[in-house]
Amino acid sequence: MSAMPGIVAINTFREAVRDRVLYNLIFFALLMIGAAVFVGQISIGIERLVIVNLGVSAISLIGLVMAIFIGVGLVYKEIEKRTLYSLLAKPIRRWQFLVGKYAGLLLTLLVNTALMTVGLAGALYYVGRPFVRADVSILIAIYFILLELALVTALALFFSCFSSPMLSTLFTLGIYITGTFANDIRSFGDFTKNRAIQAMTRVIYYMLPNFHNFNAIAMAGHGEAVPFALVLQNTLYTGLYAALLLVAASAIFSHRNLK
Amino acid sequence: MSGTSRAWTLRVALVGVPLMFIALAALQRRLDSQALSEAMQNEDLVLRSPSLVKKLSLGYDALLADIYWTRAVQYYGQRIGDAHTKFDSLGPLLDIATTLDPKLIVAYRFGAIFLSEPRAVGAGRADLAVNLVQKGIEANPDQWILNYDLGFLYYWRLKDYPKAAQVYAEGGKKPHAPLVMTLMAARVAQKGNDLETSRMIFLQLYESSRDKNVRKMAMRELRALKAQEDEMHLDEIIQDYTRRFGHYPVSTKEMVQAGMLPFEPVDSIGFPYVIGPDGKSHLNPDSPVEPDAEKPLQIPQINP
Repeated sequence: MSAMPGIVAINTFREAVRDRVLYNLIFFALLMIGAAVFVGQISIGIERLVIVNLGVSAISLIGLVMAIFIGVGLVYKEIEKRTLYSLLAKPIRRWQFLVGKYAGLLLTLLVNTALMTVGLAGALYYVGRPFVRADVSILIAIYFILLELALVTALALFFSCFSSPMLSTLFTLGIYITGTFANDIRSFGDFTKNRAIQAMTRVIYYMLPNFHNFNAIAMAGHGEAVPFALVLQNTLYTGLYAALLLVAASAIFSHRNLK
Repeated sequence: MSGTSRAWTLRVALVGVPLMFIALAALQRRLDSQALSEAMQNEDLVLRSPSLVKKLSLGYDALLADIYWTRAVQYYGQRIGDAHTKFDSLGPLLDIATTLDPKLIVAYRFGAIFLSEPRAVGAGRADLAVNLVQKGIEANPDQWILNYDLGFLYYWRLKDYPKAAQVYAEGGKKPHAPLVMTLMAARVAQKGNDLETSRMIFLQLYESSRDKNVRKMAMRELRALKAQEDEMHLDEIIQDYTRRFGHYPVSTKEMVQAGMLPFEPVDSIGFPYVIGPDGKSHLNPDSPVEPDAEKPLQIPQINP
């Protein structure tokens, strides 16, 4: 297999670092310090819980913003700056370029998330709590966030292959929000007792990426064990769905007239 | 732009920007004072439906639960001591927090205190507190501590001793529940004059425990229960005696002589009961039996 996607990925990561994307870590650090110092004074009995919930939610939200806003510009920026033409003149296929871009943003998100996780661990240590075995659930919740981000990035990249950044942002955000309500859409169909609506809502339910699957923040907060089967199934689900989106994006991008 | 003009602009900015910030802060303070007084009068919660808030949380329900719990604490803290406050939004705030995160034990525990405390210190709504803790028990069936809180509410606030005893007994069967739960169940049943339940619990404790101290304590309580039961029975006979002879009996011996008792009754150690000037039977002052249900429960030191 060609090394081209890897080269594109490394360059995408470098570009993100050059664009000061990792500056969000300063915001995260301030948030964690603020929470660690002040929460104990404005609430009762939830210092540790808030640090975990706030930290993991912030990792998720910051990651989402990065995945969507950088993701929708991955292809568009290259076309806009006309750097894509010189790139495609080299022995690289369009799908390789897309996969490289996707992997590059994932690497950026991985590094960003890893650094935020270290910050979260620091905040937990500050509130005077020794680390225990149950804290593995926090790491699993963060892993689920990474899976979620991988899906959102794939969605953003898919839409950016055929529409403007503004529309791609709206589409990705729309799908994300609808995906968090996937279970409700199915329940709505079941509630109507109408077979046609039930069939329709079921199709929508299975087609939409189900972001509800990745929500383990509350479990992490309470130190509950996350079943290993869920970790495995979520990994497989993300891998399949992201692959599907990348194949579709590659097909569209390969046929796109770049003139 | 000339150098003079640039310097002038910089000077204006250096002076003007801080001044404008000060003006903005002053204006905001006025706005805040109005908004705060309105909020204090109006106590409105924009979203009162816990399930709707959960749906709108987009997966960040755990964080939102912490925020709502903190809001509940702040809401309670701002109003505590005000005799005119009804704490109308306290119940809904706690309901939303615990729906968003059903495992937020602290919200059930402290929330129940905020709701059940009498007016000015709390909402004076023990009924709402009971509902909240019951919701917590349903969501966290393994948490004995919630049974402890619910038992306390029934015992202390609602004076429903049978219900309190039942709740304590259920909690005592949960994983890692301390012995005090079972003891409380027995003691509260005793307090509510449900001596049969109380005896059953202490007897079961005596028979099932291998710990010397626990068995000793259970035996002490069983003896006390027997004394309490004897005294209740004796008091009824004393009343009959008083009706018949027009005065209280001086001793149980006098009652035996009057043919109202077959023999002189003694406690479980063998000391005869005495009759006080109030016409009530009591344990013999020399008897080592400790009968009083009002005395604090002595939790035995359990040897590992």
